[in-house]
Amino acid sequence: MSRPTSGPVASDPSWGNRSDLDVLNRDIPRVDGPVKATGEAVYTHDVRLPDMLWARVLVHPVPRAEIESIDVEAASEMPGVVHIEALKEPGDAVRYLGDDAVLAVVAAETPDQAADALGAIVVKARRLAPVVTPEQALKEGAPVVSRRRKADSNVGRANERGDEAVADAALAGAVAVVERTFVVPIQHHVCLETHGHVVQPAPDNEQVTVYASTQSVGGTPRGLARTLGRDASKIRVLTPHMGGGFGSKFGPGLEGALAARVANVTGRPVHLMLTRADEFAIAGNRSGSRQKLKVGADSDGRLVGLKLEADKLGGVSGGSLPGPPYIYTVTDGAAVFSKIRSVHTATDGSRAMRAPGHPQASFAMEAAVDELGYLLGMDLVDIRIRNLESAVHHRQLRRVAEEIGWADHPNRDRPGAAVNGRAVGIGFGVSVWGPGGRSSRCDVTVRPDGSVVSATATQDLGTGARTYVAAIVAEELGLTVDMVEARIGDSDLPPSVTSGGSVTTGSSAPAIKDAAHKAREGLEALLTDVLEAPVGSYVWKDGRVSVRGDASRSLPWIAVCALLREPLLAQGEFRDFLHEGRIHGAQAAKVEVDTLTGRVKVLKMVTCQDQGLPLNRLALRSQINGGMVQALSYGLLEQRVFDEQDGFLLSDNLDLYKIAGSQEIPEMVALIDDEDERPSVCGMAEAPVIPGHSAIAGAIHNACGARLTRMPFTADNVLETLYGKI
Amino acid sequence: MKDFDLKLPENLDAAIGELPAEYTREGAQVLAGGQDIVTVMKDDIEQPAALVSLQRLGLDGIEWDGDGGVTLGATVTVQALADDAGLERAFPALREAAQSIGSPQIRSQATLGGNLNQRPRCPYYRHPSVSCFKKGGSVCLAEFGFNKYAAIFGGGPSYFSHPSDLATVLLMLGATASISGPGGERKVPLAELYVLPEESLETETVLRPDEILTSVTIPAPPAETRSSYLKFKERASYDFALAAVAVSVVLDGSGVVTDARVVLGGVAPKPWEVPAAARALIGKSMGPEAWTAAGAAAVADADPLEHNGYKVHLVKGLVFRALESLA
Amino acid sequence: MREMDPSSGEPSAISRRSFLKGATQVAAAGGIIGGAPASEQGTAVEPEVETLSGSSSMELLVNGKSRSVEVQPRTTLLHALRNQMKPPLTGTKEVCGTGSCGACTVLIDGQPAYSCLTLAVTCAGRPVTTVEGFGSADAMSDVQQSFCDKDGMMCGFCTPGFVVATHAALDRAPKATLDELKYELSGNFCRCGTYPHVFDAAQAVQKDRARGEDGR
Repeated sequence: MSRPTSGPVASDPSWGNRSDLDVLNRDIPRVDGPVKATGEAVYTHDVRLPDMLWARVLVHPVPRAEIESIDVEAASEMPGVVHIEALKEPGDAVRYLGDDAVLAVVAAETPDQAADALGAIVVKARRLAPVVTPEQALKEGAPVVSRRRKADSNVGRANERGDEAVADAALAGAVAVVERTFVVPIQHHVCLETHGHVVQPAPDNEQVTVYASTQSVGGTPRGLARTLGRDASKIRVLTPHMGGGFGSKFGPGLEGALAARVANVTGRPVHLMLTRADEFAIAGNRSGSRQKLKVGADSDGRLVGLKLEADKLGGVSGGSLPGPPYIYTVTDGAAVFSKIRSVHTATDGSRAMRAPGHPQASFAMEAAVDELGYLLGMDLVDIRIRNLESAVHHRQLRRVAEEIGWADHPNRDRPGAAVNGRAVGIGFGVSVWGPGGRSSRCDVTVRPDGSVVSATATQDLGTGARTYVAAIVAEELGLTVDMVEARIGDSDLPPSVTSGGSVTTGSSAPAIKDAAHKAREGLEALLTDVLEAPVGSYVWKDGRVSVRGDASRSLPWIAVCALLREPLLAQGEFRDFLHEGRIHGAQAAKVEVDTLTGRVKVLKMVTCQDQGLPLNRLALRSQINGGMVQALSYGLLEQRVFDEQDGFLLSDNLDLYKIAGSQEIPEMVALIDDEDERPSVCGMAEAPVIPGHSAIAGAIHNACGARLTRMPFTADNVLETLYGKI
Repeated sequence: MKDFDLKLPENLDAAIGELPAEYTREGAQVLAGGQDIVTVMKDDIEQPAALVSLQRLGLDGIEWDGDGGVTLGATVTVQALADDAGLERAFPALREAAQSIGSPQIRSQATLGGNLNQRPRCPYYRHPSVSCFKKGGSVCLAEFGFNKYAAIFGGGPSYFSHPSDLATVLLMLGATASISGPGGERKVPLAELYVLPEESLETETVLRPDEILTSVTIPAPPAETRSSYLKFKERASYDFALAAVAVSVVLDGSGVVTDARVVLGGVAPKPWEVPAAARALIGKSMGPEAWTAAGAAAVADADPLEHNGYKVHLVKGLVFRALESLA
Repeated sequence: MREMDPSSGEPSAISRRSFLKGATQVAAAGGIIGGAPASEQGTAVEPEVETLSGSSSMELLVNGKSRSVEVQPRTTLLHALRNQMKPPLTGTKEVCGTGSCGACTVLIDGQPAYSCLTLAVTCAGRPVTTVEGFGSADAMSDVQQSFCDKDGMMCGFCTPGFVVATHAALDRAPKATLDELKYELSGNFCRCGTYPHVFDAAQAVQKDRARGEDGR
């Protein structure tokens, strides 16, 4: 259908001078805004196929049990039930509340019939000691819950770094030393669209179609190939829209495998989305931690020694926590000692979640820096700048300090005190991320009728990826965004990356740029005969092409395309020099604490964030705000709650698992760091979620002297920190 | 949710006739706005074979008597309570309580009667797989388990805290509920409407299974009364009370409290009046000293569990803040 | 098992397939129906209790159009919209199922409601407006357009609920301050953290509408 761009490439693509950009580095309304705002966007949840079955899974309510029987007979005879299958045999164990606790799958003609059948399955099981807390896991004689075959305890191998004696000696010589134990709870992703798939089976010689709420359209075919008994090339995965992932939706998971299996067995399309309760029980989480952190500083406020002993709490998974010192620098690297281990409980394994491990590390490290500042009588911004190597951090901290009103704040080097039970404080935190980029491809097709398609197998988690897939091409060809059709969310398109760790933009944007540039040069090759200038000497702007320096030699876009006898296909690849590797951010938070009631009200949050060239400033501010909101929610409210006696997951709903709502949201200022003039692009979504809760904790302390060492910062926590536990 | 029959009676007697004399988990129950009963049924806590709708009974009136008192129909929506200008003038605390409830979506559908009769929010009670005293079981898992939200007064053998904001404020306002059953109508002061777990585990009120709460009457407040409802939500957006205070004071010309009433919400299995707090105010000038004393008196009898001792601090603070708002 | 009730002249949109009228059915149901003395039952002209039981067909008035749906008493409005209509109206989302998040917000009689807590049968004769009723991608409402302009969405799964709630909030409180807007939108939750831009969108609509009024 198409022919590749002919002729050698005349020049490398470039993002160009920022002052010359007409589309990028501006506010671009997202291209799928209208379908999202009107309910027309079809998510996997919304897929309705003829003859489709509705599937549900049965999750055992407690983490550990021995199955005596799973009786599906009565359920199988209920109206509308087409497929029902127990997934465990008598004598099998439920080892943890996660995918191992899925006991059965049901598929029926209607959602109600599936739910009714689920309720009619009779499970007899002997409940075993739950092992849901680290205390239970570490108790002598505790049942071993690890997924590792030969594990003989619930403690993973400790990762030790540094020389403890050197660190101890440095700390002994420090002028100021802070030692605290920080407790970070487990957080859930709470993707509003739960995990799930719709699988449409097909004969062996045709493609199976799978709608998936996934962060990896490209990886999902491989993930389902074995279950579907066919080569990945015979599986087409579609993710037209998805309702959030945040790191929890990389593979098809058990729910995807079951949907595929039921579709295989029944030969009918199967819709299997987890319920909200299922989602909380088996769809992952951000690991918690306990961190005993000791940090010392010299009289100038330089960090001179650090010791960290930490338990990562990732359920049956390892959990994540970066090694210390987190972001900040200790003058003598040898004086840093850490011992980090995993403590396993019989609970769902942690998964990646937006900057895995980093918010946890930030919570402890920022608190320690604050307190060293107070011990030394140093300004909280000054002590940070003293211990941060990057000049980018320095300017960003000064910028957020200015925006939050730090210069006029009375408590710059010591915590304040409440007046009539009310106190206002300010806190800070910093972030880094190094997403980089990797191999990705994009096809740009220009048709004789002037239409343009930009296609790559990426997915838009809500980040705005779909919009820059079109906008980058529009910029290169002098078009408006609506003149370029973005095609994504389809595994049959040119391959791109799994969206995790902020790698999407750094990987796919260079490939899109490369394709657009090749298309442009392909068109310029046609123009050499018409406008009589060589490739590389044209200006593409406002829907026209003209010869650089001679505006009279010009053609409108539609006339250029009319020169094509067939569609022009330009195939772009990842170009290393178009992407950036490392980003930085700083945040400040201002809070009011009511010391009589324990109410923490966040008054304002500010972020300054760099990311190379901003592709879409509007979506970028959305992402920065989103990071602040999630960090605020994490800090103020979020906590997974298990009943420790019997092991029920109590917070398997949005009543008890509380996320921030509109009335939690303070004034939020998202500052794009335009002093970052790097001529390259970079993903940034992880960074703004890292330090917000740390800044809020610092602000609470700064307001009234209450250093909260555990999260969330709810009234019980504030009041018990201030007045002790009753 | 199990399926059920929906009964749409045309009059009150017919509605009462559809209700069972004895409670069972499968017995018919009343449907008003549905904002609580539907969640209770979705969680399989109750599985009534029928719901009896009050939709056609015309119980949604707000009627003033000539003396400044008002009678509120059971199916008046919470939003109507929050919006009514007459109620705002006469009973500002009632409006504050109504405004604090749920969300716009809840307020527009939820009713006065439904709010007063809502079931506990204890996470154990709401968990479909947990058996507890309130569900015919033989244990209160909250007593030694997750009890951060549990009662610090009046608990045992069950320790849930009653979630109704309107119950708390209406008790403070001296309201009386009208209840109709097979034997006719009876009037029950709000102070006598609720029962503690030690009196009954299957219900939270004195309503019998075949009775319907039809209206609530609030007497005219004494002149020079100031009242307030202050609710502390763990999450500012859409949450139940961690603790709440309904308070009224009557002041003489020199700012001395001559009468007072203090009722706590969210801290006991029923709205919890603390006469000692009122006594601590009477005869005192409105000011921080009196407010602190009232707060201390309010929690003197508190008996917290392992994880809800903070509510003692919180109630003290809330009583102070509620009184401060009336000064 | 049940028949249409021919005696019902009421303009109820529920098909009266399940009237319990006769003494035999009362006996079969195992109880006395109604509050009136049994001796009067034989002479009663108007049935005192309508009973809906099992699956039945009803008309729902959705976005100005009457739509026929097969429901049970337990069928929520959300479920009726998403699964029972032909074609389905899937703009309204299910996220929590317990009235805790707002993704399923619709207007019933012009008032915001969680369709996941609303029984479809109780909506007979009451106009229901879903996100699709406010506009289409080609012809958006002012609120929908403003959500696009201000980027009041990221993943978009909460967006339909927020759009409906914002319409309701601005109808209710056209001149709401920012704090009042937050209060009026407090029944809707977003995980991506779109709130600041949702507030921007709502405030932009307020300004536009105020300008429109001034112009008139």
